[in-house]
Amino acid sequence: MAEKTSDKIKYRILRFLDVTGFTVFDPIVRLCFAEEPKKQLEAILKFLVIPVVFICFCVWIWWTVAPNHKTKSGEVPTPDVVYDSAVINDTFSAREKAKETDFLLEGAAREDALAGVEKQIEDNLVILAELEATLVRHEADYSKLLTARLSPLQAKLDTLKAENKEIAATNKALVAAEAEKIEAGTGTPEALIAAIRQETLAKDAGRAAESLIKDTIDVVRSDKYPPLEAARLDVNAVADKVQFLNKRVDFLTKSNRSMKVAAAKAKLLISEEKLAAATTAKVALLEAKKVTRGEASVERLEKQQYASAMTVYLQVKRSLFTVFVGFITAAAIAIPVGILCGLNPIAMACLTPLISIFKPVSPVVWLLIFQIVVGAFFPDPESHPFFLFFNSLPLIGGLGINPALIFSACTVAMCAVWPALVNTALGVASIDKDHINVARVLRLNFWERLTKIIIPSAMPLVFAGLRISLGVGWMVLIAAEALSSSDGLGKFVWDEYQNGSSFSFANIIYACFVVGIIGFFLDRMMIVLQRFVSFDDANTSL
Amino acid sequence: MSYLEIDNASLGFGPYDNRTEVLTDVNLSVDENEFVAIVGFSGAGKSTLISLLAGLIQPDKGEIRIGGKVIREPSPRLGIMFQNYSLLPWLTVFENVALAVKQVFPQFTKLELQAHVEKYVAMVSLTPALGKKPSELSGGMRQRASLARTLAMQPEILLLDEPLSALDALTRAVIQDEIIRIWEDDKRTIVMITNDVDEAVLMADRIVPLTMGPSATLDDAFAVNLPRPRNRTTLNTNPEFRRLRNDISKYMVNLNEEAKALSVNETVVDLPGVMPIDFSVMPYQPAKGRRRAKFARVLDRETTFFK
Repeated sequence: MAEKTSDKIKYRILRFLDVTGFTVFDPIVRLCFAEEPKKQLEAILKFLVIPVVFICFCVWIWWTVAPNHKTKSGEVPTPDVVYDSAVINDTFSAREKAKETDFLLEGAAREDALAGVEKQIEDNLVILAELEATLVRHEADYSKLLTARLSPLQAKLDTLKAENKEIAATNKALVAAEAEKIEAGTGTPEALIAAIRQETLAKDAGRAAESLIKDTIDVVRSDKYPPLEAARLDVNAVADKVQFLNKRVDFLTKSNRSMKVAAAKAKLLISEEKLAAATTAKVALLEAKKVTRGEASVERLEKQQYASAMTVYLQVKRSLFTVFVGFITAAAIAIPVGILCGLNPIAMACLTPLISIFKPVSPVVWLLIFQIVVGAFFPDPESHPFFLFFNSLPLIGGLGINPALIFSACTVAMCAVWPALVNTALGVASIDKDHINVARVLRLNFWERLTKIIIPSAMPLVFAGLRISLGVGWMVLIAAEALSSSDGLGKFVWDEYQNGSSFSFANIIYACFVVGIIGFFLDRMMIVLQRFVSFDDANTSL
Repeated sequence: MSYLEIDNASLGFGPYDNRTEVLTDVNLSVDENEFVAIVGFSGAGKSTLISLLAGLIQPDKGEIRIGGKVIREPSPRLGIMFQNYSLLPWLTVFENVALAVKQVFPQFTKLELQAHVEKYVAMVSLTPALGKKPSELSGGMRQRASLARTLAMQPEILLLDEPLSALDALTRAVIQDEIIRIWEDDKRTIVMITNDVDEAVLMADRIVPLTMGPSATLDDAFAVNLPRPRNRTTLNTNPEFRRLRNDISKYMVNLNEEAKALSVNETVVDLPGVMPIDFSVMPYQPAKGRRRAKFARVLDRETTFFK
């Protein structure tokens, strides 16, 4: 019986899920093709619904526990705050893109964009005015409410202070009296000490009572009035938008590249005319110099690119670029050396002490060492030919290759080389004796034996090592970037930590999730590659 | 002078003071295009013998000669088929056979190579599995693929190391027939190691028993004079076959018993002299009456003596 096309499609999808390791979605696909619905529903319940419920439970725990823990950086953010910070980062990135397009717009498109933006500004200003009025109203309400709550407490505090003052005065008089008595010879030292003790006790008690009330007052003050907060947020959002639109206007008029080029060209024209009309040598010289300078500046302006501020997505791109540079360097070193070690026991014996000692070293230490050692190669990074060459390449030049990236990549390479090296050596050394016998019977020479038997046989272990290497490299990279301030996710986290703005903590948690998700996809990619290379149907992943 | 000759070969493993002699003074002469079967128990050194013949290991003493020349290293002329197939798992059946063919016939063009490989794969009846990897094949199919690879090298001598011992009885019968058919189509010298006497008598011209290890050696051969083609179903009633099979089986079993008798069994323990119980010397006397009767019922009258 020929296979139905729907069956073919189903098996293709199932095979895709199997290769990428997402077999947990198998039942859903089978259910869509109406294969044994009861069994699939059961599987969906067990392996999809219950884990989702569990994750929701974890999120719920996060939501409830977080606000109870007050740190010096503010509250621990709840998931919705983290989501807001993700949205903010996304908006920031979108705005940078908009500014970049504005910078590059020319001619009629520019005029249209300008008109559109100015209209938006007008509309938003109107909305802003309304919202500000609401804000003022809410502020008035809030202050009334606050005074209403605070005045009794304040009154209580004042009376208490007055009382305490009186008591203090009385006690002071008592102490003075006791001292007099001693001078007069009628008092005892114990009485004096008792009086002093009593004075101190009374003072402390008074202070404690005062501070109790002060605390209550502080709590009342720190209570947030929801309508006011909401109004503030609205006003801030619109004001922020207006500011952005004004920036856009700026990029469409004064800072626009075509406008700047036009202005420079106009200046050049004037200088050229003046030069043509020059009569004296001095004027001619001056104007000629102006003309050359003008031509140079026109040329420079025409090629100018928009200097974008670092957005999260650019930093992700940079991190990925760095980790791949480091990983490929590590693989390029580890695989040949590993094959050599596997084939030759003497090489293995030579390298084993080095591997054992350098494998546990922390990436932080490597980063500091590389900053010093590799930095000596680039005393003047701005004009070094290495960087000039790479920065002029089309795709990666935009990422800004600088020495910090080299340091991070070297650190990643240094830490990622060990798992790949050890696994390659093991794979090459532990080839089935039968395969070697086959090679001997067929009289394969060294090179053929290596390429046809040894390397294909060792491939699964080599890729297992590479997968571990990439995972290690990604972890190491974030730490290295945080320390060396090389642009990337690590730097993003470090800056947020130093920043201390209201969204910092949420941004750090957001970065944590981004790093985790990217690491997950990198791992999956390596698993797929490993599956293609393995031939023994062994389990490759969790 | 025979074609394949083992001349007083000996092989042992281990350090000099604790040497295990696997094979001692092994002698064998195989004529050209003869089918010789070597039967022996497990652990006697059969695989070692085949490896010696193939040139994969060198004997300590003695020589192995093919056509008068001493064998020092393996080559495609000595086609050895390993006991666990040794197919490269990352290559398909076609690629596995092609690898061997490319080594032996480097002058083949691509088309000639393909035709050659397909011819030998068809010879072992494995054409539908040309594009499959060994992990996708059953045991019998893997064995056939290994056989195809060995045959495609067109070796002068075929060395089969227990080729059928890992298969079920039905597949064994099928592949036995294939091997006989291939040998009859295209006669070559075959040396086959097997532990099945019936198989040896069915397939071989001469059966050489391998004595028990350690220090195994090859004893005098049994000639198989049954006419070919041999029919498995009628062979059981053939008196010559039955005589031969019984002789060889008895011989092998005798070997085993000799070996057992020769070996010192350290787990043999001298039992103490067993004497019947004499209650008369026991300090405790069974009481009279009911208890004595109970005792008497439990203890055997023949061996218990009451006072």
